[in-house]
Amino acid sequence: MIPTVVLAQAGATNDFAEMVAEGLSLGSIYALLGMGLVIIFKATRVLNFAHGALTAAGAYLIAAFASIYDIPGRWIPGVAPWFSWTLSVILALIAAAFLGVLLERAFIRPMVGEEMFAVALVTLGVDIMLRGITNDFIGTDPRPLGDPFGTQILDLGWVTVAYSEVAQFFTAVVLVAGVALFFRSRTGIAMRATAFDQEAARAQGINVGRIFSIAWAIGAVLATVAGLFISIFPRRSAGVDTSTAFFVFRAFPVVIVGGLDSVVGAILGGFMIGFAESAAVSYLQFDFLGAGFGGIVPYIVMLIVLIVRPYGIFGTEEIRRV
Amino acid sequence: MRGRPLLYTSYQEDQSLLNTWTKKLMAALFLALLLIAPFGIVPGLGFLGDNDWVKLMSQVFIFAIGALGLNLLTGLAGQVSLGHSFFLGIGAYTAAWLGGEAGGALLGEGLPMWVWLPAAAVVPAIIGLIVGPTAVRVRGLYLAIVTLGLVIIGEYVFRNWKGLTGGSQSGRTHPEFQFKFWKEGTPLFDFGQDATIAGFQISSEVSTYMLMLGFAVAAVLVAKNIQRSRTGRAFQAIRDRDVAAEVMGVNEFKYKLLAFGLSSAFAGFAGALLASFVGRSIPERFDLFLAVQFIAMIIIGGAGTVSGTLMGAAFVLILPRVVRDLTDWGAAIVESGEGVLAWIGDLFIATSPDDFGLINTLPGVGPGLSVDQLNGVLFGLLIVLFLIFEPLGLYGIWLRIRNYWKGWPFTY
Amino acid sequence: MKHLTRWLVLLLAFAMVAAACSQGDDGDATDDTEATETTEATDDGDSTETTEDMTDDTEGDGGDMMELATDFGVDTENMTITLGLLSDLTGPFGPLVSAIAEGIRVYWEDVNANGGINGYTVELDVVDTVYVVDSHVQLYEEMRDNVAAIQHSTGSPHTVAILPQLAEDSMLTIPLTWYSGWSDPALNANLLSHGSPYCLESMNGISYIAEDTGGTTIAIASVPGDYGLDGAAGAALAAEALGLEVVYDGSGQIIPSDETTLTAVANGITDSGAEIVWTTTTPGTMSAIFGQAIANGFNGAWGGNSPNWSPSFVAPDSPIKDAIAEMYYNSTYQVPWFDPAADAERELFRQYNAEAPALDYYLEGFTEAKIMHEALLAAYDNGDWTRAGILAAAKSLESVELGSYAPSEVYAGEPNERVQRASYIGRPDPAGLAAGESTGWTLSEGPYTADITAAYEFNEACYSLDG
Repeated sequence: MIPTVVLAQAGATNDFAEMVAEGLSLGSIYALLGMGLVIIFKATRVLNFAHGALTAAGAYLIAAFASIYDIPGRWIPGVAPWFSWTLSVILALIAAAFLGVLLERAFIRPMVGEEMFAVALVTLGVDIMLRGITNDFIGTDPRPLGDPFGTQILDLGWVTVAYSEVAQFFTAVVLVAGVALFFRSRTGIAMRATAFDQEAARAQGINVGRIFSIAWAIGAVLATVAGLFISIFPRRSAGVDTSTAFFVFRAFPVVIVGGLDSVVGAILGGFMIGFAESAAVSYLQFDFLGAGFGGIVPYIVMLIVLIVRPYGIFGTEEIRRV
Repeated sequence: MRGRPLLYTSYQEDQSLLNTWTKKLMAALFLALLLIAPFGIVPGLGFLGDNDWVKLMSQVFIFAIGALGLNLLTGLAGQVSLGHSFFLGIGAYTAAWLGGEAGGALLGEGLPMWVWLPAAAVVPAIIGLIVGPTAVRVRGLYLAIVTLGLVIIGEYVFRNWKGLTGGSQSGRTHPEFQFKFWKEGTPLFDFGQDATIAGFQISSEVSTYMLMLGFAVAAVLVAKNIQRSRTGRAFQAIRDRDVAAEVMGVNEFKYKLLAFGLSSAFAGFAGALLASFVGRSIPERFDLFLAVQFIAMIIIGGAGTVSGTLMGAAFVLILPRVVRDLTDWGAAIVESGEGVLAWIGDLFIATSPDDFGLINTLPGVGPGLSVDQLNGVLFGLLIVLFLIFEPLGLYGIWLRIRNYWKGWPFTY
Repeated sequence: MKHLTRWLVLLLAFAMVAAACSQGDDGDATDDTEATETTEATDDGDSTETTEDMTDDTEGDGGDMMELATDFGVDTENMTITLGLLSDLTGPFGPLVSAIAEGIRVYWEDVNANGGINGYTVELDVVDTVYVVDSHVQLYEEMRDNVAAIQHSTGSPHTVAILPQLAEDSMLTIPLTWYSGWSDPALNANLLSHGSPYCLESMNGISYIAEDTGGTTIAIASVPGDYGLDGAAGAALAAEALGLEVVYDGSGQIIPSDETTLTAVANGITDSGAEIVWTTTTPGTMSAIFGQAIANGFNGAWGGNSPNWSPSFVAPDSPIKDAIAEMYYNSTYQVPWFDPAADAERELFRQYNAEAPALDYYLEGFTEAKIMHEALLAAYDNGDWTRAGILAAAKSLESVELGSYAPSEVYAGEPNERVQRASYIGRPDPAGLAAGESTGWTLSEGPYTADITAAYEFNEACYSLDG
């Protein structure tokens, strides 16, 4: 339920603070999506157009485990709802990781050594396919994710933030730290080596195929977490539906702005575009701009960045050889 | 020279449009087939005379024109573009502005077709040249996302420019296919009306079909000629290695820009035809999915080849129809419940709410893909399978069949 | 290789000559065996000619049957009549339309089980347009020669796009859209609309909410297009008539495919501090805007046109179910599924489909089917089941009684006299839904016609589609 205290103060909140809160919230989702795209790109040199479908599929998996079939909550009655929900989410994340590995093995592995475009277009096909199947599972009505945050709101006086948004921000921070740590681990270093030069990495005894699978698994998990926060209160209260997958089209500029092969770039790009969008939504409300100007802000930011730096802010310039 | 099909004695001969006698004859026969098909007199293909097929085939011609444009840019010059639908939209709305009727707040000049149709190619080409420099500066996947941005920004503009497009989800009517000198009331020839030509009854569907076929043939000739000219070879050089091309004296910037301009002109022309053909469009029509359809056409057909592009356009447009008919047919067999076919079909097709099947023919009830979802999944799957197993597309399959028969009955 | 191709070419040429010679025979054969099939119909020239042939056939076969003129979609031999459904089964309005289509299916199954229409079995040709204009046009083209009338056509721009074709075919069509422009004589030559237009529905809803809550300020938001802008126009008219202050006008500002517009609209609604919100949008966007608005601390009363609503808002797992129950007013065109007024329809439906989840939209399917049924009966009495005959009979209908679950439709007179002004207002009911006793809402008042709606002079569409 909505605490009445907040209702009394409605309108008392600070516009700027609202904008910053929304920017942080959007930015953390973009950062999660961007990191997933960059990790997949770094390891396999694929721009993953199927990320949108993965987001929706992941969110549906959470809905299935947590709400539709209630696994494992149905076998362990009596535990706190948040505990069984967390278990369900973990199971869903594992399932999503397997989905990522499956896609990589089935569709990306056969394309090793092919041109970058060709592989990117394969993922475009995978996106259409996976989205069709996911949409069939979702059905025509949205599927709620059964999260424990409900509609609870944290009132900081000058700004109100939903509990779920707080959880989202901290999850994003933890995952960013996790990815940073991962790149220092043995597997992470192997991934960096693979990104640098696949053949040299193989010569050093790195199992490149395994690295590919791991990258896709991580990408799918990050997409699922993003899908979770896209599909709950307050963003899409009714749950995951057939339009969830389109959210990712706003995240492609994030990786372009940051640079396709830079994790730091994805995080900074994510927050940058999150803030730009949030600012546009809050302040650029002019009649002549019509409806939906906020939606093209990521692309406008991207074009401006690209005119200055054609490889993104943190991207590595490709050395062109004959 | 007869009897030595691969012996060319001059460069000219090697590069000619149809370099063998067989090709000339095949092309002529194919064209003749397309010309008589809408009258429903081709044995075995009589259904092509049905109105719905005549209209579907007309759409195939329109999409083929657009796909030929994308083939110049992506297939020949190697620049992946997700922004093709943006240029289709520009063409459609240029035509609507110049040729459409003003009404309410809508812009429309009511000019004749010989004005709006060429303009629908020229204006997108100019806009292609304007946005080109930004696109030329970025490479590879960055370009793909920049062109994706073009579609998204374009859709935003189309949605909000109500005077031009009628506004989001409302849309506007587009000019009709009519021959007129200027703005006179009765057209010389109206493709929207059934007509009698030299004693022959020709329905509006068939006359429109012929018009689209004519445009498509013209577009094929233009595309083919660009491909075998200096420009076409420059495009291919850039595609294969841009730096190497530049070293050989190909001006990379100029030719990339040219590729953008030419491809946009084809797209705009196709967009104007498509919108006028359907009669009414909403801004959401020119979305990413349309662009992906075009990409699928050149992937499935075979990137870089004109005949492949045509096959791809036909394949992508006809597939949903065939899938729908097959599903209906399958469902009918399953419902009849007789024979082995029904038993096998029942495994795949669900026809009642408590049945389970991969495909579900009931309106929105129960699990199983609806026909539309099935089409989507097949569409994605085909893109993937062609890229993995046959990068040359349908054209590659055709080549293999041809080469097999070349040596027949000796395999070597 | 050379030889082979030559042989092939020769063969092909031969085949074509042979085909050209045998053409005449082929044509005749088609005529004999499947007279009503597509091949015959595609000649497209004079349908009267075909009509005469068919009439002769009927006389020959039927004996005691009355003389019935037919052309397309009626099979006099197997005694069937086919109706077309242009449905959005998997697009944005999929949940509604698939339930409506199921209602229609059940209604006709029942009619067929009880002897059909004077012995004729009604068959349905259902296609999925996915709410895309181009597919709508193409699918209509595919079905037009196989159907006697269009049972429903989803979406206004979609229906407008096929209007010229409908006119050419003299095809009766029931629009599955409540656009106020259907009363316009320029648009409705082939249409038989039903239910209160979005515009008048908005007036009823806002009037009811204003009375119930005493609110004096209103925020309006909608999707673009005939649906959204028609509903928003009605909201603006209601605000003017009731003297409510419009503190936020987001007409046409909601773009379903663009999440940022939802945030912008939610912010606009919250910042305006309106006491009443009226939205005309889709369920998915509605839940998002509502969620973001209450996250910002909004707590006014909220209502919207019928397609706004989805029972999933108050499903047990829905986080917003309590807030919706507290704040939302549902507006629609008939009573809830479990209302006693719909007892007869519900029982009938359950006879044929015991499993399907309880949904209100089946009743809308019944409405459409009943109107079509009346039109077909009237045409049969005239002895004319040609498409033109069915259309003429439908256009001469004075009114159609739908039963106690929805107000009867009047078709005679000027737009101002015949337009449906009554709609139904209700409140969400999460507890009832969880217990399986309601479809998520209960009726508060209906049929309800607000004073401002009754007084409204309806002569033209509230929002007009240009060109």
